[in-house]
This record gives sequence, C-alpha cells and structure tokens, in this order.
Amino acid sequence: MSIVINPRRLDDVVILDLSGRITMGEGTLVIRDRIKKLLQAGDQKFLLNLADVDYIDSSGLGELVTSFTTVRNQGGQLKLLNLTRRVQDLLQITKLLTVFEVFNNEAEAIKTMK
Amino acid sequence: MNSKRQRRFELTIPSRLEEMQAVHALIAEAVKEYKLSSEMAHWIELSISESMINAIQHGNRADPAKQATLRISSSGDAIEIIVEDEGKGFTLDKIADPTDKANLLKPSGRGILIIRSFMDEVDLSFRKGGGCRLRMVKKLRGVDGAHPK
Repeated sequence: MSIVINPRRLDDVVILDLSGRITMGEGTLVIRDRIKKLLQAGDQKFLLNLADVDYIDSSGLGELVTSFTTVRNQGGQLKLLNLTRRVQDLLQITKLLTVFEVFNNEAEAIKTMK
Repeated sequence: MNSKRQRRFELTIPSRLEEMQAVHALIAEAVKEYKLSSEMAHWIELSISESMINAIQHGNRADPAKQATLRISSSGDAIEIIVEDEGKGFTLDKIADPTDKANLLKPSGRGILIIRSFMDEVDLSFRKGGGCRLRMVKKLRGVDGAHPK
C-alpha cells in the first residue's frame, strides 16, 4: 500500500496524517509534492503524524530529511508525531533522531510550534 | 538444532524499479514459508528491498538490459539472502558514514547502514565474469531476535 496523506489544520499548523508505506518512488513524491504546494500557499508549520506508517525505507527517510531542510530553509518548522517502534528504530540507527523533533502528544507538539 | 534446509526462493529481474513489486511478492512468499514473526519479516523485507534497489540503481545503473538476482534460503537456524548485479561493484568500508554530522542531512546513503544494523553477516564479493554479490545472513535463533542492533 502506497502512502495516503490526510491534511488537517490546527490554527497555523498543518498536521499531515500519513498512512501506508513511505518508499522509493510514488510514496516519497506524494509527500514532497504536498509539502511543496502547502509552502507555496504560505504554510510554514508542519507536523507529520506517522502513527499509521509502519514501513519506511532509506528513500523514505531521505524524503523526510529533504522535506525538513526545504521547510527549514524557508523559515518554517517540520516536526514528527507518533512514531511507530519500527520507524523510531530506523531514526535511531540513522541518527536522524538528532535532526528531528519528535513528539508523542499532538497538543504538546503544537505548543512548541507557536 | 534444526539445520534442515527449507524451500529456496529465486528471482531474476531486469533493472527497473517497477520490478520491485515482484521482489516484495517473493519476500512475502518466503516469509510465509519460513513462518517468520511479523517483526523478523519486517526487517528482512526492508533489508532485501534496500539491497535490491541498490543493485538496480547503483549496481546496474537502472539499465533494464542488466539483471538483478535475489536468492533466499533458510537452514531453519538462519536465513541467507544473496543479491547479485552486473555492476562494477563497491567496497562496503568505503561508503560514507550517513550518521556523520556532515552527511546527516543528505537525502541518500542510508541503505547499507540499515542492512548492517539488522543482519548478522554482510559481505560483498565480485562475481566471476563481472558484477557484485552481496550475501546477508540473519540468525533466526539468538539473543536479540528480530530487533536491529
């Protein structure tokens, strides 16, 4: 199953509820395009909810990093929410936990983005 | 100790990413045959997928005239995975460390690290007549089980 993105908004924060697999090809392009369009529309604060993402490959991780740097370079913020154990393990192995701010509570995450 | 060799799985594909669907289907078949836990199956699938994508993209430079081959077998105690390509090859130890501060924000280069973190043995050799052979072994019994190191 490829990735599905359901965006919602809480004040000026865009929460992207992702479900499925973030893998080489379509899975990564969908995220890139969605964030690009939101940035163009003026959004700058993104919270990626990965609760229903159980599989990310190295390309998927690369896409998260690219999205993070793209948003940051435009003065915005991109943070991660609700990592599954497997995704958490991957971020730990690759030391990307030192790059991303990760939260298990949506309200707390949003509070840090004000 | 059970060291009875079980059914083997093999697939050869042209070097196109679209062919990865067949790779995932074969992995699903092997996982079912070997009765792997969901956790073990996840990391096996990820490791195989990373190595086949490497073979297609980096080894064979996505040239569909070149082939990538996957072999999966189990002794009952361990799973052995072999991935072969027709590329020029590389040296595992010369791959840039993706966890180095200078590389952390790079979009690629994490595949081999992921494979090494999960597999118990990873070695690369050159094939007679050209191409590379990546061999990976995952023990099915042991202290850490399916969890990556």
